[in-house]
Amino acid sequence: METVIKQHKPATLWRELSVIWALIMRDIMHTIKSPGTIIFSLVMPIVMMGMIGGNLTQNMAGGLGFDFGKFMLIGMMVNMLFMTTGNGVAELVDDHESNFCEEMLVAPCSRYALVIGKILGSWLPALVSMLGAVVVGAIMGISLSISQFLIIIALSPLICLVAGAMAVVPIGLIKNRRAANMVTMLLVTPQMFLCGAIIPIGNSSGILWLISRILPMTYSLDLTRAAVFAGTPEFDSVVLFNPAISLAATVAIAIVCLVVGTFFYARSEKNR
Amino acid sequence: MSVIEVKNLVKQYRGAKSPSVDNISFSVEQGEFFAFLGPNGAGKTTTISILTTTLSKTSGAAKIAGLDTNKDARKVREHIGIISQNPSLDVNLTAEENIRFHAALYGLYGYRPSFKLMPKAYKKQVGELAEIVGVGDALFKPVKKLSGGMQRKFEIIRSLVHTPEVLFLDEPTQGLDTVSRRELWEYINSVREQFGTTVFLTTHYIDEAEHATNVCLINNGKIAFCGSPDEMKRTIAYDPTPKVCLPTLEDAYIEFLSKTKEAV
Repeated sequence: METVIKQHKPATLWRELSVIWALIMRDIMHTIKSPGTIIFSLVMPIVMMGMIGGNLTQNMAGGLGFDFGKFMLIGMMVNMLFMTTGNGVAELVDDHESNFCEEMLVAPCSRYALVIGKILGSWLPALVSMLGAVVVGAIMGISLSISQFLIIIALSPLICLVAGAMAVVPIGLIKNRRAANMVTMLLVTPQMFLCGAIIPIGNSSGILWLISRILPMTYSLDLTRAAVFAGTPEFDSVVLFNPAISLAATVAIAIVCLVVGTFFYARSEKNR
Repeated sequence: MSVIEVKNLVKQYRGAKSPSVDNISFSVEQGEFFAFLGPNGAGKTTTISILTTTLSKTSGAAKIAGLDTNKDARKVREHIGIISQNPSLDVNLTAEENIRFHAALYGLYGYRPSFKLMPKAYKKQVGELAEIVGVGDALFKPVKKLSGGMQRKFEIIRSLVHTPEVLFLDEPTQGLDTVSRRELWEYINSVREQFGTTVFLTTHYIDEAEHATNVCLINNGKIAFCGSPDEMKRTIAYDPTPKVCLPTLEDAYIEFLSKTKEAV
């Protein structure tokens, strides 16, 4: 028998990146092989954007001083990234139930690589959802320029990272798919309303102001809108913070949630 | 040289009234075929989970290749491979995609989107392993379309791709037909001979442990016996006159269980 002996490569950043890449590819394979996921990713924007957004566009567009349709479209695109990534991260529970997590946890790689890979693996279905929002927006007569669209695509991995990291914190502790779905919904849906995805929050005060400043989606939304509306007269009406602040807050929240979430995930598997 | 060292190991699950593993100690030498036997719920899988770093211990020491399974968990993982009790393949991928994913997780090869794009060494290794275990034709089939036995064979291939120094087999032949079981053992034995791999086995097919170097019996979380299969046959069967022995390890094991029940 001539079995090839392959020695382990040294533990390097490159190796961790390779693990992240493998996890991303695994989720891409899942998405490609599951037409249901793609259809669901496209149907969600129709419900969210077409029904809620359409109603708001017709009733709120006047007197705001900016293009509400575009404002809402960007909000929905970011919301779709959050929602789909959160659902993707909830698949960690599926891996636990199917014992596949054991295969990952016994591997000599960083737990961070496993979690980051899982989050970024949800990027493709999240992009599909986001594209769904763009298509529905186009049907409603709301459009983005190619450069604006590309800017959002460029920001999408960071947005998915913060959304996924936020979702890992509770999901790392949950071992039941139904509970994970509920938690994901509870995490994302309130943010859609409280962070300004579809309703402007420039005039929020009191507790609503405070909540909007705590929630991660606020900064992701503001960063995206700042990038899209940069150089336009509407910038000051639409954007809440200096883009550098939004970027710093987004990165900081992603890092904190990633550290805490990965700790919970690894700990809950090991400390039973 | 001991490649596995367990000393006064205790594991009590959260909320449990008594420990699942209660102050057990044993060691396994490099290249040894070690069988860890016991009835359901005895503490076998708990012990394996601690040794493979997926479960924390309550107290005591557990070392693989001199490395602590808690403090040096990542380094320990470099040395081990596992075939777990429950199927752990990703059923949404093909068998080969599962193996490719495993190879990437272990840093053997960078993940490429298709088998064709993978390095020649990977293709050769996977092809050889698949032929040896007799699953070459099913390599590119979705796991969900494979029989339980076939899936088990692919788990075996996957666990051997990184040629681990210590291979943990937690009831590896569960669900395999007789021919597949024999083929699997022929292969595992050849791997042991070729690479000096240490095999740590738990099984309910006691005949599989007949040729083990050493056997450990665990019951209710405590070690009841540790020694060679011949010693076990003598000691358990006609204790306290160790000159006569039972014909098979399975007989000795059944005798041990019946004595335990009587004692209870």
